[in-house]
Amino acid sequence: MALIRHRLNPQRRPVWLIHVLTLILILASSRLAVGFEAVISNERSGDLVFLDESGNSLDIIKLCNRPRGMVQDRPKKLLYIACSDDNKVLEFNLQTKKIIREFLGIPGAMAVTLNTKSRRLFITNEGASKATVLDIDTGNLLSTLQTGFEPDGVIVSDDGSRIFVASENAGLIHVFDGNTYSAIQSIITSLRPRRMAIRNTELWISSEMGSRVEIFDLNTLLKIDEIIFAPKGFRSEQMTPVDILFDSTKKLSFVALGAANHVAIIDAETRSIEKYILVGRRAWGLGITPDDARLFVLNGLSDDATIIDLKTRRPIKTARTGLAPHSVEVFDR
Amino acid sequence: MIKNILFITSIFFSSASIAGALEVTIISAEAEERMNQGQSFAGITVEPDRPVLRAVELALFESKTLLQRLGFHDALNTLDIKPDRDLREQLLAISPSSLVILDIPLKTMLKVAPILNELKLVSFNVRHSEPTLRNSLCMDYLFHAIPSDHMYFDALSQFLIYRGWRKVLVVRGPSKKDDARAETLIVSLKKFGASVVDNRQFSLSHHPDDRDKNNPEFLTGGASYDVVAVIDSEKDYGRYLQYSTRKARPVVGDVGLTPKSWHFALERYGAPQLNERYRHFKKGDPLSSQVSMTDKEFAAWSAVKLVTNSLSTNKKIGTNFDLLNLLKNPQSQVDLYKGTRGSVRLWNHQIRQPILLATPDTVVAVAPMPKFLHPKHYVDTLGLDEPESSCQLSKK
Repeated sequence: MALIRHRLNPQRRPVWLIHVLTLILILASSRLAVGFEAVISNERSGDLVFLDESGNSLDIIKLCNRPRGMVQDRPKKLLYIACSDDNKVLEFNLQTKKIIREFLGIPGAMAVTLNTKSRRLFITNEGASKATVLDIDTGNLLSTLQTGFEPDGVIVSDDGSRIFVASENAGLIHVFDGNTYSAIQSIITSLRPRRMAIRNTELWISSEMGSRVEIFDLNTLLKIDEIIFAPKGFRSEQMTPVDILFDSTKKLSFVALGAANHVAIIDAETRSIEKYILVGRRAWGLGITPDDARLFVLNGLSDDATIIDLKTRRPIKTARTGLAPHSVEVFDR
Repeated sequence: MIKNILFITSIFFSSASIAGALEVTIISAEAEERMNQGQSFAGITVEPDRPVLRAVELALFESKTLLQRLGFHDALNTLDIKPDRDLREQLLAISPSSLVILDIPLKTMLKVAPILNELKLVSFNVRHSEPTLRNSLCMDYLFHAIPSDHMYFDALSQFLIYRGWRKVLVVRGPSKKDDARAETLIVSLKKFGASVVDNRQFSLSHHPDDRDKNNPEFLTGGASYDVVAVIDSEKDYGRYLQYSTRKARPVVGDVGLTPKSWHFALERYGAPQLNERYRHFKKGDPLSSQVSMTDKEFAAWSAVKLVTNSLSTNKKIGTNFDLLNLLKNPQSQVDLYKGTRGSVRLWNHQIRQPILLATPDTVVAVAPMPKFLHPKHYVDTLGLDEPESSCQLSKK
């Protein structure tokens, strides 16, 4: 803890002490490399904040202008980060915590997703109304996909055959062929579709201004169901869901409810809401430990992250982040 | 003369779909001198006042992808009316299915709105915040996209209470409009529990006999207050009060911290995207970085977006839709880029929405403020609630 406090307030202790403490910590962590670590991108402070699974701050790295969407290449321990105001995507080594490569000329990079099989990286370009497809190994541009205004979430079916891009402004999910990149269709959603998650043959879509999660069939692209939220003490228009996440078994779904300041735990099979957990202001980014034990919820207006123990389903700590935390990824230490 | 200024034919995704149309007509008043509005002495513009055309064009431009998907094409017309001639005859030129945006002065609107109601044309007031209009023009076919003064002042009052600035010195201008707006402000202040220390009138002069009215120090002296609330519809005098009050107190109302429906510096909720689009969507006619939609333009934009957003959320609506039915449907809603969607108050056809509390360069808060709760709609602590309204269109 001493080290962390020091990093946040650099003027407090003499420099030699940091080096000693850093050395001790490095030695200690190299021997006790257990547990998980969360990395948080902060839009307004332009940095990455690293927390351990209990919410202790480990590191802050100044990165770029307006870092937002992130995705992991787990086997390679790499992280891809969209730097919106720098029009670039960074490849970041999670072990050394160093930038490896920069993909430049990607306007308004917002959300990113990776298909590890086909080695393709998909990036939405917010101001440019398109999505960019890169070959992640060569960095070559494979295609650009035209969308409506303000594309946000992007997701690819597991087999890579279909690409889905949400246009917040148009209220549409654009569907593209994963091989030819041609537009197949667009799905009409409720207002301001943001993020998507795939579960078997279901496509779950959060609608921020429509205050619901809509579920579509991946093959027919027809709507199957929708989930409406009602935590106690909040009105319908305060439900502004953004991130959707499944646990590793895909039995549970988590939805961050934005201005309703809650995260919902949903039985993904029956689609019934099991619990609402009170978190910070404008809950939107979500991350889960690979062992499904803890959930990280980013609170975009209170600049903190709430860590929820998923066994007891209670928040265990709310930790400080950078300014305007946007996305969180959890990885093995 | 009705002018068709834009016509977009859509590319159909499905050849089987029959084309529907969304037609918008903006009514303006011929020879209205808008150049001088919002301008103070010596050509200093304190509040820009522009025709709402650009904002309506933006709303249609933004809706293009969705309208194409729905199998709609859109058309935009402008109608420049001569207020002194037979209005009914001129208004008959509007297509019966058109959405009408009223970019006209109050005097003209009072005459035009009843005729449009008779003609069964859905029209939107986008310029006038007078609360009395919501009652005197209580009509099936008229909607109000611009917030009422009740909404603006309720937002301001909530903010003052939230900050603990409960003792308010009200200072108002000499016009009838200022009198009426000061009354509305006082109603709001009292509703949320603020106390009005005094209600004083300023005058723009240097006459020694009027020193207690024209000298900021005298005008704001001899009273104990937390904040000065200024009503100055003409933006004439109020701006001289800041940093000149007898006590070191903030100035709010028509100057200083002002309730607004839109702002160039709103950082969240996708607002920067909307502001960027507004400035750059017209090729060859970009606007500079601090320009954004005025409240009137934002109202016109939101009126059109209310229709296009509702078209997509209302799945049962076919291409041959009825505009009034669409808007009166409780499911109709609009994404306002303010973190909370807007919708129609069915009793008086006012669009409900959050209100920003802003200085000229920053958005300080977005009302409703925390802990101001309404049993039904989050934003209905702003403005006249259903039981308070004498306009009861939903009960007709």
